[in-house]
Amino acid sequence: MGGVISYFKGFFGQKEIRILILGLDGAGKTTVLYRMQVGEVVTTIPTIGFNVETVTYKNNLKFQCWDLGGQASIRPYWRCYYANTDAIIYVVDSADQERMGISKQELVNMLDEDELRSAIVVVLCNKQDLPAALSVSEIHKALGLDALKNRTFQIFKVSALKGDGLDQVMEWLSNAIQATK
Amino acid sequence: MFHLLHGLYKRCTQKDEYFVLILGLDNAGKTTLLEQARTQFNPAYVGLNPQKITATVGLNIGRIDIGGVRLSFWDLGGQEELQALWDKYYADCHAIVYVVDSGDRDRLGETRDAFAKMIHNQHLDGIPLLLLANKQDVEGCMLVAEIKSSLAAAGAPYIGRRECSAFGCSALVGSGVREGVDWLVSQVKLNTLRPPVNGA
Repeated sequence: MGGVISYFKGFFGQKEIRILILGLDGAGKTTVLYRMQVGEVVTTIPTIGFNVETVTYKNNLKFQCWDLGGQASIRPYWRCYYANTDAIIYVVDSADQERMGISKQELVNMLDEDELRSAIVVVLCNKQDLPAALSVSEIHKALGLDALKNRTFQIFKVSALKGDGLDQVMEWLSNAIQATK
Repeated sequence: MFHLLHGLYKRCTQKDEYFVLILGLDNAGKTTLLEQARTQFNPAYVGLNPQKITATVGLNIGRIDIGGVRLSFWDLGGQEELQALWDKYYADCHAIVYVVDSGDRDRLGETRDAFAKMIHNQHLDGIPLLLLANKQDVEGCMLVAEIKSSLAAAGAPYIGRRECSAFGCSALVGSGVREGVDWLVSQVKLNTLRPPVNGA
């Protein structure tokens, strides 16, 4: 029944697109989520569990964004949310060079999953406002993204704190998702 | 029994897969070219609006089934910083498409340098090269011969060790794209140096 309803809902241009926001703890996932939704920086505490918000883009696209906690102990639960995901926003702390390797490993493990085979991947190089932030090509190398040869992905430089770059992310996501539907 | 039939079916329908790398400076029209090729060769595919294509930072994938084989395109970002990432894909590709913006005379030197650097890479020895002079619909654009001679001089000894061709095209309008793809298909099939990946 639910399937039938959502089928007919599709006629009214109100498709809900399911997006997961993932990444290590402290990467800025929750800040990214609320920056996209309300356009403000909110005071966050480490997420245990998840935050879910609907972000409307240009009045006709609805993104249902799931921001999952990124601490090591709760990363194994990410997989419970993989089903029916249209896109993954993978947030990386550009200034955290030490944990790039861990971040890479989590990304590789995640993309191995069958349920995410057709999901679009967006990598956000967050915290670009920090002086120690790595560049796009450095992060590309550190995350081993050249091994990702069978899916479309896009990298963005953003600063969730300053609000830089997030509009382009939304724009690209909406185009890419409409092209695959 | 099911597995036997399934295996037979797969064997009959499987296609040789070739990987094609699309390179060139930023704003040369690489992503537009890929979208155009996908639209022309996949009747069911609804392409992106060319106006909505933004700078690629990452990778776009496109697959085309043609002439009994499958071409998988890798469209990479062309900004200066991202050119350092191109060589990661050289060892696995079967053909190179190098796209030049014919309307941008000022950056011909820059595109020549990037081209020279790419063609000197040893992983690309013997790999077919297709040079596309894009944006031929722009008024006052450079001619194919002009671009070709400029790049040929830059890549001098290395360019001759492979099959090469140059076409003019307009990714926006769609002209010349089909000729280019047809040439690619014929060349990757002939190239014995790098055999296809089976089982696409």
